[in-house]
Amino acid sequence: MFSFFKGLASGKEITKENLAPILEKTKEALVTKNVAAEIADNLCASLEESLIGEKVGTFTGVAGRVREALEAALTRILSPARNIDILREVQHAQTQGRPYTIAVCGVNVVGKSTNLAKLCFWLLKNNLRVLVAACDTFRAGAVEQLRVHERCLNESFGVDGEDGVMLYQQGYGKDAANIAADAITFAKDARRDVVLIDTAGRMQDNEPLMRSLAKLVKLNNPDLVLFVGEALVGNEAVDQVKKFNQALADYSDQAHPRLIDGIILTKFDTIDDKVGAAISMTYITGQPIVFVGTGQTYKDLRKLNVKAVVQSLIK
Amino acid sequence: MVLADLGRKITGALRSMANASVIDEEVLDAMLKEICGALLASDVNVKLVANLRKNIKAAVNFDDMASGLNKRKIIQKAVFDELCKLVDPGVKPFQPVKGKSNVLMFVGLQGSGKTTTCTKVAYQYQKRGWKTCLICADTFRAGAFDQLKQNATKAKIPFYGSYTEADPVIIAEEGVNRFKAEKYEIIIVDTSGRHKQEAELFEEMLQISNAVQPDNTIFVMDATIGQAAEAQARAFKEKVDVGSVIVTKLDGHARGGGALSAVAATNSPIIYLGTGEHLEDLEKFATQPFISKLLGLGDMSGLIDM
Ligand SMILES: Nc1nc2c(ncn2[C@@H]2O[C@H](COP(=O)(O)OP(=O)(O)OP(=O)(O)O)[C@@H](O)[C@H]2O)c(=O)[nH]1
Ligand SMILES: Nc1nc2c(ncn2[C@@H]2O[C@H](COP(=O)(O)OP(=O)(O)OP(=O)(O)O)[C@@H](O)[C@H]2O)c(=O)[nH]1
Ligand SMILES: [Mg+2]
Ligand SMILES: [Mg+2]
Repeated sequence: MFSFFKGLASGKEITKENLAPILEKTKEALVTKNVAAEIADNLCASLEESLIGEKVGTFTGVAGRVREALEAALTRILSPARNIDILREVQHAQTQGRPYTIAVCGVNVVGKSTNLAKLCFWLLKNNLRVLVAACDTFRAGAVEQLRVHERCLNESFGVDGEDGVMLYQQGYGKDAANIAADAITFAKDARRDVVLIDTAGRMQDNEPLMRSLAKLVKLNNPDLVLFVGEALVGNEAVDQVKKFNQALADYSDQAHPRLIDGIILTKFDTIDDKVGAAISMTYITGQPIVFVGTGQTYKDLRKLNVKAVVQSLIK
Repeated sequence: MVLADLGRKITGALRSMANASVIDEEVLDAMLKEICGALLASDVNVKLVANLRKNIKAAVNFDDMASGLNKRKIIQKAVFDELCKLVDPGVKPFQPVKGKSNVLMFVGLQGSGKTTTCTKVAYQYQKRGWKTCLICADTFRAGAFDQLKQNATKAKIPFYGSYTEADPVIIAEEGVNRFKAEKYEIIIVDTSGRHKQEAELFEEMLQISNAVQPDNTIFVMDATIGQAAEAQARAFKEKVDVGSVIVTKLDGHARGGGALSAVAATNSPIIYLGTGEHLEDLEKFATQPFISKLLGLGDMSGLIDM
């Protein structure tokens, strides 16, 4: 009696066969939205695993059920466990009488320095006193770039370096880890609230440069290590975050090495609905997207709108 | 090296087909599935991949194929041709004229590698005896002029720019006029990074272009870009008359497929590949050697003899 009604209400059973063409389409749709192929594959495989054998009502249909499950999976990926509340963490550091430190890292020209400046803008808006440590001692113009930001940021708040942002720099060629250490010491003495450490862009395969990043992180143990990645990047996103984490782990010689704590996803304004890099990066790291860069002015730093991203992906 | 992973997967797919005892539709489909999967994993545009699959299927028609024909070779050739088509629009690249002022304007997304590549290209020309110079028409990115200046100084290339003038159109025009008067042969104009979503920046690019009347507009795209590449490339082409493409950051691990999609979107040939951060890290691009390298030299002879 019961099973008869159940049968009526639930219609079709999901099988490998009726699922296959839908998953094929799903994968293509995800890849079109710039989700890395490998991750689109993984996602579809786990959808398959969880859905086979399920009974679906005639209204939802297999396709509808896949969509539902995909939406849930994507939302889960984009909403990692750790919630990073920078302002609160800064307050906490203040009570300990030390500056809160954030290091940004990533491959070349993804927007580390620009978004560090935006982050600084946001901190200044919250009446915090910031020190920017110029630890990109490699790329031509890197220090001057931060100098310009220092000036513009202080001007836009009508403050001087004392109450606003100060640049700490030792020019080019020197060891970044040591400059960061000096900057933090300086910040402590000068009672700055936050130290923002800018680092040189580096390709994830460049061993010497990756070692030097690991050294910087190990020596200075920043409160927050942010990976800066471009929303434009395709399949390479996976390799980038994997290898940055790998390098931080391998080259630190520590039992519990510091890894990427969070992500800044930049150039989000250049990709229309091709938002897949957000998935690729969070899927691999399991860490949240702390900020999204949405343009080239100081105000263009947002929180990730998980719902909107998921909608773009399943549209 | 360059796209090694993709090459390996494609040759692998071709080889597994060659090993099949009978070659039929099913074998072809399996091979195409592998190849297309590899292309997608290398960021090649989804639509271009679908086209490639369709074209190869059309080129290999089992019903019409006389039994004596070598199916393997026909299929291999179809794959090779389609891969070539992907990177070759069939348009001749721009050739500068000696003794004349040739203005090359670099455009592209933020951080694609324009400034670095400008100096590399200038350096190549200078080495080959052209009277070469650089102009920084990027007043947007903080420190942009310092960057170009430091690069140009290192390469001993004359440059022009300004710390005070905020209008890139004026700088570009003044620089080009000055260098033209001084009979420079290769005048390279670097511009700010920009993207199609910001109309003002695109308009500015058009104004610079109108002011300097470039002989060749070079679109620089980096090898890590994914599926957003096509729409951006198309938009640049629609705004200014892109004539060439340079793909940067093809050293290391990059996939390059997204950038290759710019060829179809702009109908312009790739002229160079950027393969490193240093001045010398620039390779001339040629389709056939590129694809044969992609597929591994060994398999090349077999494909080319057809
Ligand atoms: N459209 C857009 N452009 C951005 C964004 N963030 C940064 N950019 C641009 O990207 C380019 C590179 O930015 P930088 O901040 O210098 O990048 P970086 O990672 O510090 O670069 P390196 O230090 O050379 O490795 C600049 O042209 C920025 O204006 C963003 O959110 N949107
Ligand atoms: N590994 C590698 N790095 C490259 C290559 N070309 C450029 N780069 C690096 O990419 C970064 C950005 O290059 P830029 O030349 O500043 O880029 P851009 O397009 O001028 O950037 P914007 O002016 O901000 O739009 C620099 O760190 C370069 O060293 C390349 O072929 N290989
Ligand atoms: Mg930087
Ligand atoms: Mg530049």
